[in-house]
Amino acid sequence: MQDNIELSRRQFIGVAGGVIGASALASIPLGAETIENPSDTQASDFTIENQHTDVLVIGGGMAGLFCAVKAHDAGAKVMLVSKGRVGSSGLTPFAKGIFCYDKATSEVSIDEFVAQVSESAIQTNNPVFTRQLALHSYDRVQELKQWGFFDSALCNTSFMRPINERNIPVSERIMITHLLKDKGRVVGASGFSLNEKKIIHFHSKSVVLCTGSGGFKPSGFPVCDLSHDGTIMAYKAGAKVTGKEWNDGHPGSAENSGSCYDNWRGQIEEKPGLTGVQVNHHLGVDSNYQAYTQGAPVTMGPGSAPNQAGTSNVTYPQGPYTPTAFRETDKPKPPPQESGILSMFRSKGHDGPPGMGGEQVGGSTAGMAIHKSEGLVPIDEAGLSTLPGLYAAGDALGSYMSGGIYTQIGSSLAGSAVQGAISGEAAAKASLALEIDAVSQASLEQIEHQILAPMLRKKGYSPAWVTQVLQGIMIPNFVLYVKKESLLSAAMAYISELRDHHVPMLMADDLHKLRLAHETENMIITAEMKLKASIMRKESRCSHYRLDYPDIDYENWQAWINIYQDQDGSMQFEKQAFDAWPNFA
Amino acid sequence: MPIEQISGCIACKACIESCPTDVIQLDKRTNKAVIAYPEDCQICHLCRLNCPVGAITISPDKTIPVMVSWR
Repeated sequence: MQDNIELSRRQFIGVAGGVIGASALASIPLGAETIENPSDTQASDFTIENQHTDVLVIGGGMAGLFCAVKAHDAGAKVMLVSKGRVGSSGLTPFAKGIFCYDKATSEVSIDEFVAQVSESAIQTNNPVFTRQLALHSYDRVQELKQWGFFDSALCNTSFMRPINERNIPVSERIMITHLLKDKGRVVGASGFSLNEKKIIHFHSKSVVLCTGSGGFKPSGFPVCDLSHDGTIMAYKAGAKVTGKEWNDGHPGSAENSGSCYDNWRGQIEEKPGLTGVQVNHHLGVDSNYQAYTQGAPVTMGPGSAPNQAGTSNVTYPQGPYTPTAFRETDKPKPPPQESGILSMFRSKGHDGPPGMGGEQVGGSTAGMAIHKSEGLVPIDEAGLSTLPGLYAAGDALGSYMSGGIYTQIGSSLAGSAVQGAISGEAAAKASLALEIDAVSQASLEQIEHQILAPMLRKKGYSPAWVTQVLQGIMIPNFVLYVKKESLLSAAMAYISELRDHHVPMLMADDLHKLRLAHETENMIITAEMKLKASIMRKESRCSHYRLDYPDIDYENWQAWINIYQDQDGSMQFEKQAFDAWPNFA
Repeated sequence: MPIEQISGCIACKACIESCPTDVIQLDKRTNKAVIAYPEDCQICHLCRLNCPVGAITISPDKTIPVMVSWR
């Protein structure tokens, strides 16, 4: 970490001019002294706390809930730590439909369901996790019913019921930033409190990341508290991660575009409901392509054919490909059941899924990939990562349960429940009778220094400004959604600057901004992953669309992309065949 | 602005704990919840829905202050 790097006037123009424009600079008194960090915080102001457990569950959403409960029930001592409140942070409080495969009533067999998902996902899904979803969703839903999940629009009370019944200790409003390692095994995690000046080291035998996905703090989708924290701390610890070229292409509404509540069309106040089997090919990126080729506004929904007569003289490729069986150009398929979230879409005042009414705008989920496609690379079906002792579940696990496309409404919430339960039980069993050595004091002190660096820095950049620059680079539709090598490379040049120059100078004057500083760094590393993976994947498939490689390449790209850090700290990429599982890193 | 006003706070901290983006803080001097970081509000309404006394007013409009690089 660098401190106190003065920024010359020339350097400042070079950095800022490309983003905010020279005219805006005219009003800034160039040459003025930078303002020092008003925080007079010293490292000694922070207390250091150490906690010990068998299984540490990081994240308090649907995956974290089931992980903690099942790890406890398998005999382990468990702790759950969350950046927000259990059931009130991440995407869980907003997901109102949960997939439930009931073999007694389903008209589709599990084999047929898995085959349909693979057809829609153009083989990008991992059928082991697709099958696992269908096999276990019913049991998880029954437990949620017992806990009262379906009786309230808010999750905290129902989530805390099984946790309190088991006396599982919960630490809320703790941002975890680092994984602890000893002899190649992950043996805990460290972070800081958002309430008081305190750093906490959690020492454990296994860690399960239930940290969700993340975005670039976009407008109109409630993902602004998620910044891929789990993925990035695992990447830095040596784990392989995947899925960064895929895009959740969820549209937002032009009206009140910054309001998640209004984009959600009242559903935040609805109780959750069940969804049955209805395999789709929900692109989203097709709307972005339509807006790119023909201009905004776009009024059609995802799944619609994008290639209509445009106003441009340029001839564009057909656009994102939808498998024949999943095209909805004529009319949408009727929902298979009249219960739960599907009927909610048609109830008074809730006349469509989130963000899909009225005039649409792109980028509302910018920075987020398809649920369950990005995150840690699993080496088995329990979500064990390429690092011993480290598991992931839910949106933090690159399980490819659906593949590079969203195939099933409600599968996100159900998949988190299913994977959370399985990973928790596996982590608990792996922890039994395991003896772990204490992490060295020198390692802990180094982590403490890295956690506090933005608060101790006297000069630097606010995370809010750096985030705004990041958004300006990444969210344009010609970078993240309609991709081509020249623009991906150009964006990467900017991101390199943020990574090398601005991340080491992120500055915070309170605990809230310390959180933002760490989140900003995580988003910048994610941006590098997304751009480089997108450059590497020289084809178009599912939610990854390359204007310069518009077709599916069955010969060379029946593969996922794994990302890892080499000995020098450089980001490396490798192909992993769709039917292959890696070993430990 | 997004979250606009907290009026009639009973200091139960439900809004502080339920805000995913850490927008609301407890003013230790007055023992009331205050809107500390409105620019980070994602307008999800979880604070309002968790408030037991209906103290929170929220607008769908989101405007954020102009940000410059050294502040």
